[in-house]
Amino acid sequence: MSELAQQWSETLRSANQTQGPRWLDELRLRASDQLTEHGLPHRKDEDWKYTPMRVLEKLNPAIANKAGGVAADVAVDAANEIEFPLALLDKPDYELRVCNGVFVGQEGKDRPGVTVLSLKEGLERYEPLLRKHIESVDINGSAQAFAALNTASLNQGLVIHINEQTDAGTILLRWALSGSAGPSIHNFRVFLLLADGARMQLMEQFESTDHGGSAMNVVSHLELGTNAVLDHFRLQNELENTVLMSSTRIEQAEGSRYNYAGFDLGGGLVRHELKTVLGGSGAHAAFLGAFVLDKARHVDNHISVDHASAGCSSEQFFRGVLGGRSRGVFNGKALIRAGADESSVRQSNANLLLSPLAQINTKPELEIYADEVEASHGATVGQLDEAAIFYLRSRGLSEAAARRMMVGAFCKAVTDKLENQALAGRVSDMIDEAMPSYSVEI
Amino acid sequence: MLEIKNLHATVGGKAILKGVNLTIEAGEVHAIMGPNGAGKSTLGNVIAGREGYEVTQGEVLFKGRNMLELEPEERACEGIFLAFQYPVEIPGVNNTYFLRAALNAQRKYRGESELDSMQFLKLVREKLEILHISDDLLRRAVNEGFSGGEKKRNEIFQMAVLEPSLAVLDETDSGLDIDALRLVAEGVNRLRSDDRAMIVITHYQRLLDHIVPDRVHVLADGKLVASGDADLALKLEEQGYTWLEQGGIQSLDVELRA
Repeated sequence: MSELAQQWSETLRSANQTQGPRWLDELRLRASDQLTEHGLPHRKDEDWKYTPMRVLEKLNPAIANKAGGVAADVAVDAANEIEFPLALLDKPDYELRVCNGVFVGQEGKDRPGVTVLSLKEGLERYEPLLRKHIESVDINGSAQAFAALNTASLNQGLVIHINEQTDAGTILLRWALSGSAGPSIHNFRVFLLLADGARMQLMEQFESTDHGGSAMNVVSHLELGTNAVLDHFRLQNELENTVLMSSTRIEQAEGSRYNYAGFDLGGGLVRHELKTVLGGSGAHAAFLGAFVLDKARHVDNHISVDHASAGCSSEQFFRGVLGGRSRGVFNGKALIRAGADESSVRQSNANLLLSPLAQINTKPELEIYADEVEASHGATVGQLDEAAIFYLRSRGLSEAAARRMMVGAFCKAVTDKLENQALAGRVSDMIDEAMPSYSVEI
Repeated sequence: MLEIKNLHATVGGKAILKGVNLTIEAGEVHAIMGPNGAGKSTLGNVIAGREGYEVTQGEVLFKGRNMLELEPEERACEGIFLAFQYPVEIPGVNNTYFLRAALNAQRKYRGESELDSMQFLKLVREKLEILHISDDLLRRAVNEGFSGGEKKRNEIFQMAVLEPSLAVLDETDSGLDIDALRLVAEGVNRLRSDDRAMIVITHYQRLLDHIVPDRVHVLADGKLVASGDADLALKLEEQGYTWLEQGGIQSLDVELRA
């Protein structure tokens, strides 16, 4: 895998992307050096030991985000052809589209206090702020290879800024891969900056049309000012050959609330890393999610919560349903630092294995160095209760309907926690719709 | 309506039913009594089609159709209902949602139109009223956190909604106090009709004070050893199953079968 990383790195260098501020050009080169030196993650990297990297070998090492703008034109053309298959909402306040790693379009009325910019524009307007975030990303070592790759190719991105005390409403961010330009890995960077007291709902939807086996590598920076509130919903319903690497870094100030809900119903190789730092007292972070997989899909969820201040609370609540030969990983960490007293942490991950070849690796981790901490964690792995299936069948439901009902009920534990009832209903329906393709057999 | 011929069944390789013969006509209620391990529940589960109960010989004909070749849900759709000895708790599955899906699956099977939620709710409220059950039941998950009595009443409620032509009540009296027993029995009696047959499986005569059977059968060691009218149950209650095993049955004025 180190050869592949080297190839990627060389392609990036030859693309000669010197166009931003000087510090950024230097950082790109440094990241590229890191990639060459350390290669891609391998099984010895603890956080990657269950993530199969082999699928990446199929990717053309060409990086789509070439500086010349050719790739961008291709992406815009491709985006125009895409029928985004399904909207989670009839009318979001704002809709943004990223296709093949390029920000290709936006729709919606301008709202006072809400600024949406491309990375280039964003760097002109918020350079110190973006620089702080960009430089905060660890790019050292093989475990950080995708962060290094993203940094080395950093020239496409999106900046959303919400002013103080402003309610930005709902922003729908749609991601897609498209076209047959050959399998590529597309890098993209998102900055979402909520000033003090700002609030918004971010809904991300990953749903591609045919793309010949490409990959997205997305790094997002979410900054929540004092008392800011961000509801972050993510739906991934990708094709079997889609690779998605997403790394979301959240910084939370005093009294802020971050509510994540992520649903993975598809994809080939998918990995979500979500890291938050509760940096001010009274901050709260909740991570809810469900992954419902069949075939040979692989979905990782790596969540890490850093309780750096006192009086903060966090919750991680994930349910996994795995059929076929699918693989799931749940790795939830919570670190409660010395002095972060009166913290509260809850972690729970329950899983159902529907087939003998499906696999789940679950690891809730707690590290506590503070006093007066309320903490609970647990993980379970089980199978559908056959007695219950027979009970349902004995009333006239087919075996498939009975299993679907049981799986739906299992995932309902997550959707019931969503405040938006309409959205919860929509997600439940999607889980239900996805069900017939689950195979109890292999 | 139901014809069981020379039925042999094994569970985990062990022979449990060893040649059961039983015929039940529409409108009849038959009680099956017998000591622990005689095979009473196995008989109920075999009729309903539970996995793990292997039929090695014999036939189960229901309205002339061989049930043994049908899946459990097909048997349900044909009109067979098993009231479970231990109703299963299914967290997260709402009772109303489940029951409507089940009823509509059966209606679809029979070529009838499916009920929408308003039509279904109307039907369900009628049934609740007849059975004197609170509609609180509708909002809860299937059997989750139900008391023993509530679970058994939920079984009877399901039976009322699904309106089977054959109901097998597997120890519906077990775990019930006297009041709950009376309520459940009243519910069952309301569902007796000329076109519905019932098999009441029980250890104790007590239930049969409330649900008076047309016929009583004694199942011992996998066979029906005696059949009689409701008095047979009284005699058994008086003498106990040990007496039966010791040959006491010979002294009864009943049809000896084995």
